[in-house]
Amino acid sequence: MTGSKRIILLLFTAFLLTLAVLFLPLLRFKTALYTKRSPNTFVGDEKYIAVRAEVDQEAAAYIARGIPASVTEQVTERVNSKGVKTSMVAFSILTEESRSGWQLLRAGLSFSTLLCLLLVLSCLLFLTGLWSVKAPSRSGSTIQTASVVLALAFFFLVPVTALNVNISLSRKVALALSQNLPEPEMQHLFSRLDTFLYDGAAGENIQIMLGTFSYTLSPLYYLLLCPAFIFLISTLQLRCGRILQPLLRILLYTAVLLFSLFILYPFFVMFITAFRSNAETTDMYFLHILPTKWIWSNLQDTLNRGVLRYLANSLLIAGGATLVAMFCGIPAAYAMARMEFKGKRAYLGFVIMSQMFSPVVLLVGISRLMNTIHLNDSLIGLMLINAAFNQAFAIWLLRGTFVSISSEMEQAACIDGCTTLGALLQILIPIAAPGIVTTLIFVFINSWNEYTISTVLISTQTNRPITVGITQFSSFNMIEWQYLFAAALLATIPVVILFMLIEKHLAAGLTAGGVKG
Amino acid sequence: MNNVFTRHKWEPYIWILPSVLLMLIFVVFPIGIVFRLAFSEISRAGVVGQFIGFQNFIDAVSAPVFPTVMLNTLIWVVSVVGLSTLIGFIAAMVLNQEFHGRKIARSIMVFPWAASLVIQASVWNYIIKMEYGNLNNILLNLGFIKSAVNWRSAYQIEFIWECAVGIIVTIPFVTFTVLSGLQSIDVSYYEAATVDGASFRQKLFNVTLPLVKPSLTVSTVLNIIYVFNSFPIIYTITKGAPANKTDTMVTYLYMLAFYDQRKGPATALSVIGFLILCIASGIYMMAAMRKEESL
Repeated sequence: MTGSKRIILLLFTAFLLTLAVLFLPLLRFKTALYTKRSPNTFVGDEKYIAVRAEVDQEAAAYIARGIPASVTEQVTERVNSKGVKTSMVAFSILTEESRSGWQLLRAGLSFSTLLCLLLVLSCLLFLTGLWSVKAPSRSGSTIQTASVVLALAFFFLVPVTALNVNISLSRKVALALSQNLPEPEMQHLFSRLDTFLYDGAAGENIQIMLGTFSYTLSPLYYLLLCPAFIFLISTLQLRCGRILQPLLRILLYTAVLLFSLFILYPFFVMFITAFRSNAETTDMYFLHILPTKWIWSNLQDTLNRGVLRYLANSLLIAGGATLVAMFCGIPAAYAMARMEFKGKRAYLGFVIMSQMFSPVVLLVGISRLMNTIHLNDSLIGLMLINAAFNQAFAIWLLRGTFVSISSEMEQAACIDGCTTLGALLQILIPIAAPGIVTTLIFVFINSWNEYTISTVLISTQTNRPITVGITQFSSFNMIEWQYLFAAALLATIPVVILFMLIEKHLAAGLTAGGVKG
Repeated sequence: MNNVFTRHKWEPYIWILPSVLLMLIFVVFPIGIVFRLAFSEISRAGVVGQFIGFQNFIDAVSAPVFPTVMLNTLIWVVSVVGLSTLIGFIAAMVLNQEFHGRKIARSIMVFPWAASLVIQASVWNYIIKMEYGNLNNILLNLGFIKSAVNWRSAYQIEFIWECAVGIIVTIPFVTFTVLSGLQSIDVSYYEAATVDGASFRQKLFNVTLPLVKPSLTVSTVLNIIYVFNSFPIIYTITKGAPANKTDTMVTYLYMLAFYDQRKGPATALSVIGFLILCIASGIYMMAAMRKEESL
């Protein structure tokens, strides 16, 4: 159990160190309270003394209000076009405040999420440490790994918080000073900053006092973090030398987590944008990641603006295409799997080849054909086209499934006088059901997502499938992103769920065609 | 195997008849039309005139944008297929490990494969907008940048974005096909390799790669065909703008046929594309057939 004790020690130290880092006044805020530029002034002349006295008086007033102010002067000397030397002196009253990270986070300057994360993590760290003593040795290693992950996350989160506070606070203040924030938010920010920096002493003057606002981290901050980190790693190293295994695990989990976030990111954007207000979707100065107000009625609005019709069209097209593809595909796959006939290889070759015939390349031909047989601009036309272009996949997947099932039972049934059709319907289809469902869903999704042929063939608005329908929300001069994404959300959710159901069978079927020995 | 199933010589042909008919009408027929049009004079109104030999091909190939479009197509196919195969392969290796939440990770990987390309392209189109795009929004919020960045300042950069979106939506296909190959590998191979003291790299190159090679070949060839034919991403994000500089062959063909109403050169391009695809599918077919024979 020595390993666990070490872990506790480690976690405890991590906890203490982070608390220390959080509570030390390592954040420095510099603001210029007052600036005065005095042109044509040389250091030491009459004008200089007069202005200096004025500035000093001003500074004394600030000091009297309890604000530690200091006067600095900056001299700019220049030779003008007439060759005369001029000089300008800029006086400013600066104040520098030091605050701890804890104070900053508590000031309610909109970093509460990170603060919460930090707090939760520190609690978890502590708990896992305690738990790993009592845990049985088998699950002990999992807990140890977990606590190592937590500790690492904690150590990374502290500097990240600092960076985040640094940049987004400066940005927010800059935005507020240039009047680019909504009024209530601006007032809120200023009053918070007043309380935080000057204990409310600034009052009305806060806007002027924030004239130049800069925020720096004391280097000590990083100096403290570095040994803490080294300490963490070296303690891990000491622990039975088993550092590589947990570190690899951490790497694995981090990679999976990051990649998952990356994959989900566009869907997250789709989701949050679908519930934003129109103004928010196109606002550059919009500061929040999540919508300020979730407008759930966007869904209802898109449905009212024709999307319901488009969804129904898509359902019809995809459903019909699936039915047709299965009706033609199952017998063909059955024949290919169970029967011997001349030209079988040739037909199989054609099926595989036609998998590649993209409708896009054949667009002109397809649109001509559909015009000739009067199926352009109709749902039935799209249905048949989708069925035809999915036929290859359907036959390929189904044939694979049928081949992988032994034909003995059907043979016995046939000898007993059952027809071939009867054998297919009563024996093979029930056994092959999982493979058939996979194929069915795959064809359905492909037809549901089809876009290119529909844009060409469909000209009546009420006949549009959803993939074409959502483009109505984007015109040249205005795109109603929130409606576009609300409709997209409705179109995406069903197919993603369906796809998750078949994902496992599909991949194997696609590559192997199910041809297993 | 069996004559049990075939009572008459012609019975199998009845079984395959519906599918043959369906594909004949809606797949083979359009191919024929495209070939006929490619060698005919077509007016802007779409009236088919007489046979004019290779004039349409000459028109299509001699267009000033043609080399750009072909180069774009090449870059598009090579970069998307290459990088998505690489990343997808790594992702498959990771997903083949035992870890908590593996099922969830697999389910997440499904998203880009299942969702419609138009929708995903629209989302990415929104994400990289400078004025209000979500990427700028998030980066500003997290404090990584101090002012909005123009993510699409030049058409070359926009084309790179399009390739990136293409890669993202293609990764899951590679991952799942490779994964299915990886999962069919017998553990005993690895055990034997471990006993022999093989390193991770040796196991990767001498055990894993040869055994997933068939899956990898199939997924790569299929990908080449899909990516070559991919239309919605480029059409949604740039529509080929400015002046066809971000077009690939497929989007250029579409613009030519349905915007400029120049069906003649468009069908000629279709034939060229069709031939390119035929070569690719021929390779695929040979690989698929050979694989079947070997089993």
